[in-house]
Amino acid sequence: MSENTYLNDIHEIRVDENNPLFDKTGLLYKEFPSDYRQIRYFTLLIVQSAPLEIKEINLLEQQISEVIKNAVKHGNHSDPARKVRVWYSFDSTHAHLIVQDEGEGFRDLEVWNAFNRKRLEILAEQDFEKLADYVSFRTQKSDDNDGGNALFAALEYWNGGFFFNNKRNAVAMLKKFPQKKHAIA
Amino acid sequence: MELKIRKSGDNYIIDVNGEMDLYNSYKLKELVMKMLEKKVEHFIINLENVDYIDSSGIGALIYICSTIKKMNFRLIITNIHGSVKKVIELTKLMGYFPITNSIEEAILQMED
Repeated sequence: MSENTYLNDIHEIRVDENNPLFDKTGLLYKEFPSDYRQIRYFTLLIVQSAPLEIKEINLLEQQISEVIKNAVKHGNHSDPARKVRVWYSFDSTHAHLIVQDEGEGFRDLEVWNAFNRKRLEILAEQDFEKLADYVSFRTQKSDDNDGGNALFAALEYWNGGFFFNNKRNAVAMLKKFPQKKHAIA
Repeated sequence: MELKIRKSGDNYIIDVNGEMDLYNSYKLKELVMKMLEKKVEHFIINLENVDYIDSSGIGALIYICSTIKKMNFRLIITNIHGSVKKVIELTKLMGYFPITNSIEEAILQMED
């Protein structure tokens, strides 16, 4: 990948509560207790309503699981009394989700954006020695099971937008799936 | 997730079978750390039978890769495919990890 591709590609996590992706009209809804052991099960309950035409369903499941994990673990501190609320809709063209926790909100958002910008600059320079310090975003609260890379992938995957609300405890996201091109006879 | 170790010359091949997710990725990390304690220096991690990886799995690979690099030992990750490859591409780590397409290629690279 060329240097320019990385630099042109710099995405940021944004706060935009008025973004249309926060419109819940017509979306399905589920809520779960913040049980860390059941994150993948909760994810499957949501993904099972996705149509079979969606290719790479494994990848969709993985990306949804990451957002739910963030809500359960970092938002609600795996407190089963706190709920994770998910609004969602799928069809062959898109996946749209809103995931909300009952936590304090993503306080390190600006720090994360600065870290990611530096990471992308280093990737553009192809400096893999220096990149070693930027492969994983960690805070004082991170533990050994935190990969520290989920949001890097999320920003790339959710190509229709990835926005936090003002309190930063809810995130809305959209994936647009590529459509088959029909040849004109 | 099931881990099997086999030996080819000086190389220790770890065959990973199953899903590298938030519940079990630590097992691979622990295994590699134990092997390092036993003075193993050449690692090939075979992901041929891994169809699912999440950020914890990627985090485990990052930890293993950086630890082995710091010790000046050798690591190659091989047979990455499907959504596992996609997730690594999304995190832009394809250039960071030492990757080959097959175990044979990994063994050849180890000999260089």
